[in-house]
Amino acid sequence: MTEVASILHADLDSFYASVEQRDNPRLRNRPVIVGAGVVLAASYEAKAYGVRSAMNGGQARMLCPHAIVVPPRMETYSEASKAVFEVFHDFTPLVEPLSPDEAFLDVSGATKLLGSPAQIAADLRSQVLADVGLAISVGVARTKFLAKVASAQAKPDGMIVVEPDRERAFLHPLPVEVLWGVGPVTSAKLRDHGVETVGDLAASGGAELQGLLGSHAGRHLRALAHNRDPRPVDNSRRDRSMGAQRALGQRVRTREELRTELLGLAEKVAARLRKAERVTRTVTVRYRNADHERESRSRTLVEPSASTQLLTATADDLLLTLVDGPHGPGSRLGRVGCSLIGITFSGLGRADAVQLALRFPEEGRSTERLDGLVDDIRQRWGSKAVARASLIRRSEGIEVLGRPTALDA
Amino acid sequence: MGMKFRCERDTLVEALSAAGRAVTTRGGALPVLAGVRLELVGDQLTVTGSDLDLTITVVIEVAGGEDGIVVVPSKLVSDVVRSLRPGSVDVAVDDDDVRIVSSPSEFSIRTIPADEFPELSGAEGDAVTLDAGEFRAAIDQVEKAASSDDARPILTGVLMAAEADGLRLVSTDSYRLSVRDLSGTAILSEGQTVLVPSRALKELSRVVGDQDQITLRLGERDAGFEVGGVSITTRLIEGDFPNYRGLIPQNHPNQLTVDRETLLDAVRRVRLLAQESTPVRLAMSDDGLELVAVTQDVGQAHEAVEASYNGTDLTVAFNPEYLIDGIEVAPGDEITLETVDELKPALLKAADDPNFLYLLMPVRVS
Repeated sequence: MTEVASILHADLDSFYASVEQRDNPRLRNRPVIVGAGVVLAASYEAKAYGVRSAMNGGQARMLCPHAIVVPPRMETYSEASKAVFEVFHDFTPLVEPLSPDEAFLDVSGATKLLGSPAQIAADLRSQVLADVGLAISVGVARTKFLAKVASAQAKPDGMIVVEPDRERAFLHPLPVEVLWGVGPVTSAKLRDHGVETVGDLAASGGAELQGLLGSHAGRHLRALAHNRDPRPVDNSRRDRSMGAQRALGQRVRTREELRTELLGLAEKVAARLRKAERVTRTVTVRYRNADHERESRSRTLVEPSASTQLLTATADDLLLTLVDGPHGPGSRLGRVGCSLIGITFSGLGRADAVQLALRFPEEGRSTERLDGLVDDIRQRWGSKAVARASLIRRSEGIEVLGRPTALDA
Repeated sequence: MGMKFRCERDTLVEALSAAGRAVTTRGGALPVLAGVRLELVGDQLTVTGSDLDLTITVVIEVAGGEDGIVVVPSKLVSDVVRSLRPGSVDVAVDDDDVRIVSSPSEFSIRTIPADEFPELSGAEGDAVTLDAGEFRAAIDQVEKAASSDDARPILTGVLMAAEADGLRLVSTDSYRLSVRDLSGTAILSEGQTVLVPSRALKELSRVVGDQDQITLRLGERDAGFEVGGVSITTRLIEGDFPNYRGLIPQNHPNQLTVDRETLLDAVRRVRLLAQESTPVRLAMSDDGLELVAVTQDVGQAHEAVEASYNGTDLTVAFNPEYLIDGIEVAPGDEITLETVDELKPALLKAADDPNFLYLLMPVRVS
């Protein structure tokens, strides 16, 4: 177990209901129920009346007759979840998702760069609010178990840091039901024997507990009551892709503005890629206009890479084909402005074991050979060593070959 | 239009599922393509499924009652017939429903308007016959190396090319490349090449069974294969296959010769410790071959394999799945693995059969 409380459990508050309140100002500060037949989520205002998730809709309306019931918008929730996980990954590559709205984060490797775990937790909360517009509660502790207990205690919209010397003081007064594995049956058994708090349980003898609950459950609960939980944060369910996107509002952007936004995102995700010791095979640039029409362009690299230089240059090329394509600035898509721009790296692989590919001398009528050459040149001489003529003409002046720029850093 | 026949359950299930394999799984533009078309003429029932790129037609003998044509939902009807008790099945169409009866079960299923089913013509071109067993073996040797990535459509095909006095099959997903020569099989004129979707060849391999002959027709845009009562028509892939010849190194300074089964078993064992896409390493020296796999935080595996080696000491890492694919399909008891260095393509061949080769790119480890 680590010496420092550096495991975060981050959990969005009333996820679906909060998204609805975010998107519709009339729902704010009012009891909101998502889902008519069965309650999928309830806002805190509705929870105050006893409405709970998975409750029958009729029962919920009896408890809270003035609640506003809205149908679920799964696609929107999924987008919000993705955006929240993007924020998590900005802080640490060690993210273990538990569900669309909660995850464990191990920030022990990030403290030099980002400050104490408490500082990181506070920054994470404000970043999720700023980027996604949702409140998230965070618990910080030495173990996953305790971090999860802490985030539950911190709700709504709060955070609790359990420093190692405060673990007992925090955990022992809590009711036994906070422990994983204590459902109604176990709870009744324990309470019959006078075990009401975690502290009571910690004070019970091991043999006594095992006699009461069976050997496995007895041992498990005793370990938790003493905050023994050796499980590390497990990010082995490795992501198959990584990305970032930015909402841009309604104003029509110039190509240079779009380019700056996109290359900033590309640099950020490339850094994240290297931190996770991964390489990407495919780069995709996504673009959405104010009318929510989407378009994207992808390119597969000759060899998987995590080089900022190569990836930003590829993103730059893709943006060009997007804005110069049929939906370029002169088209309707171009005129109505860009409401969102994003980049995704997919086909991720390990940086320390790269499957090499055959280099076809030519590949039909595709431009892959050219791309390969451009990639090679850029890899050797820098991203400005070659450029598409269209880009040179349109940029402000011709850049000097090989001159270092901010992007080459 | 009515239609009526009686048929053994197993015969009908086989026909429905074979034709159903061409039926589109993604909701395509034409809803009628989620169905299979049944056409009864006399005692002959023709079952057709298609996604427009691939069409599979199966002809079976039934006890015909009344001729007719109907399109039925492929998956549902196939599942229904398969679920029936063994024995004969009565099929009859009245109005918009098909009735499927095998006492005591009785199903009535809404049909799909048959006039929306597209006209599907078979491939044109002269018929050529091929030895079914040999051709299937050749397909099995190359189809795994074809790509399944629709973003690179050309690589999802198997190249068929006239080569010397025979036919050559080539496939690559850009990580490995399979080449198989069928000598004496002259079905293409000199210099002629066609690019056949590997998916169609996979289906062909599946239906060959114990048939002796395959009839092949090559048209401008389509290829057609007939074997037994099954015919498969596929649209050809347009475009130029990469020039693969230049990729095969002519000089391999290092040669490893090893028993095929021994190596296959050893790689399969060691692979268990090559998790999370770590490679299997082949350390080759005068002492023979050693296989190594290490997965961080999980463990490691070593195995010494008896082999003869000519060359400088070398360790090359491969994706174990790709390596196994190649060893599995290599003909003969002994194989050779020829290498240049740890970053250049390795060549896997049968020791005594020049008609097969498998080129495999290593994994670069750091």
